[in-house]
Amino acid sequence: MLGQYLKGNTKFMGEVSSWEDSIKIAAEPLLAKNFIKEKYIKSMIDNVHEYGAYIVLVPGIAMPHAKDEESVNKTGMSFLKLEKAVEYPEEKEVKIIFVLAAKDNSEHLELIADLSSILADEEVLTKFKNVESEKELIELIKTVEE
Amino acid sequence: MKDIAPSPDQSSGIRAKVQAFGGFLTNMVLPNIGAFIAWGILTALFIPTGWIPNESLANIVGPAINYLLPLLLAYTGGKMVGGKRGAVMGAVGTFGLIVGADIPMFLGAMIVGPLGGWIIKKFDKAIHGKVPAGFEMIVNNFSLGILGFLLMISSYLFTGPAIEFANNLVKGGIQVLIDTGMLPLLSLINEPAKVLFLNNAIDQGIYYPLGMQRAAEVGKSIYFTVASNPGPGLGLLLAYTFFGSKTSKRTAPGAIIIHFFGGIHELYFPYVLMNPITIIGMIGGAMSGIATFQLFNVGLVAGPSPGSIFAYLALTPKGNFLGIIAGVLVATVVSFIITSFTLKAIGAEKEEDDKESFEQAAEKSKSMKEEGKKVLNSRGGSSTIAAENISKIAFACDAGAGSSALGATTFRKKLKKNNIEGIEVEHYNIEDVPEDADVIVVHKNLADRARRSHQNKRIVTIENFIGDPNLESLLAELK
Repeated sequence: MLGQYLKGNTKFMGEVSSWEDSIKIAAEPLLAKNFIKEKYIKSMIDNVHEYGAYIVLVPGIAMPHAKDEESVNKTGMSFLKLEKAVEYPEEKEVKIIFVLAAKDNSEHLELIADLSSILADEEVLTKFKNVESEKELIELIKTVEE
Repeated sequence: MKDIAPSPDQSSGIRAKVQAFGGFLTNMVLPNIGAFIAWGILTALFIPTGWIPNESLANIVGPAINYLLPLLLAYTGGKMVGGKRGAVMGAVGTFGLIVGADIPMFLGAMIVGPLGGWIIKKFDKAIHGKVPAGFEMIVNNFSLGILGFLLMISSYLFTGPAIEFANNLVKGGIQVLIDTGMLPLLSLINEPAKVLFLNNAIDQGIYYPLGMQRAAEVGKSIYFTVASNPGPGLGLLLAYTFFGSKTSKRTAPGAIIIHFFGGIHELYFPYVLMNPITIIGMIGGAMSGIATFQLFNVGLVAGPSPGSIFAYLALTPKGNFLGIIAGVLVATVVSFIITSFTLKAIGAEKEEDDKESFEQAAEKSKSMKEEGKKVLNSRGGSSTIAAENISKIAFACDAGAGSSALGATTFRKKLKKNNIEGIEVEHYNIEDVPEDADVIVVHKNLADRARRSHQNKRIVTIENFIGDPNLESLLAELK
């Protein structure tokens, strides 16, 4: 499920200038496909401004999202990997960004479940941190998908 | 694990239950105090005997107390038990009750509201996982619709009339006491009846007619004062102002103004409802007030409505001022003293309990596993739940969809991996965490917000949603 959703929604880059930019760039594929409206990106950034970097799920990996269903047209997820870490508030270094756009409260749960399988398994997590292409990423996800 | 659990003796078990029930009532009433104040201001100003009578604006008074306030209580009560759906169900069920009776249905709302929440919660649990994908919305809406319909009808037909019957019993009891001539005894029925919002029923239905007969003969009557004395309520609110817990302490002074000067007694009723034991102070205060009025042989010339200190003084016949003022003062002082002691006793016990359970839990966790060193994270929370009592863990975040869902999903998997069963792990937005959750897991940045909405819950704060040390120790605690 997660693999399918990420197809064509991944980006691999050297570095970005700020955490705000990392969210903007990571969300671009969703915006281009009209899954989200421009405003959703602002909502995600505002969310971090307001509550800090709680979207950094585990060290190095962030999942920006916001409670703004009106700006989401379709449930989706996109992925950005940076070679050089960008600093989020509270001095949190992040290299991998998953943008979550959830239309309602249930459809995205399967995505979350797959993501959880990746993050909870140390072995998979290590491999995951080293993927270098979309193909590699999707192959890896396949191994954990339920 | 059971063997290390110290078995609490029965009395402390009952005490804990009573306190939990009190906490439940408080949480049902407190969020709605603002609505009571709005209604109180409106009433004090615009009713025919108010400060600036206005017939058309006074039209709001009746519907607000009959519909708005009970529905708000029912909504809140339902929400505490069954979340958003419970709230809707509670309000729907209570509406039948309101229409089914012609007295304000506060007591009924505080029963049917949570009952509605409970029904929908049980139903949702029963069908959980059995609804085919895509049909959730239709099942959700129609199940609530149909169950709500049934609850509305049964409240209308049975619960409403039952409560009204109880109301009539109260009236009968008052008549019996009047016949004995022991007027202070009336407080035994008056005060409980008042806080159930029967004040107008007993005042205007019983005492004022009796008082008017007497006043027609001798120019004044003590009957006008037996249930309308603003003293006891003032004493109670003052006690809350000085010795109440955080929120009630802050709201009580405002309530004093509207109660004592505005004469809207309803403002203090919620404070009694949230700690029903304080009714003792109210009865004591009212009794001593009546006794004082009797001692000075004073009365009022007409029914003070609203029962404000100004209305009292305006209706005091010449030569009765000393006695009337003394009666109000004595009632205030007695009610203040008794309620203060009551509040302090409750407060002290609560603290003691916390300490006990904290120590128990600490000891238990120590013997469980060395790695589960720091299991208690009850900073700011007032109750700690022993490990074997955890049956529902709520992951909470701002949206209730993203990070909390991830945390919950991962934690659920971990439980499964460790063969831990019977623990529900769900994710919510912070404010929607239902009352039956035993532990709330929240990111440290959102901890304050979680504490604000869930003061009596154990809150575990984490920094990472996966593999956080505090999550690991929570897991260790559950093993």
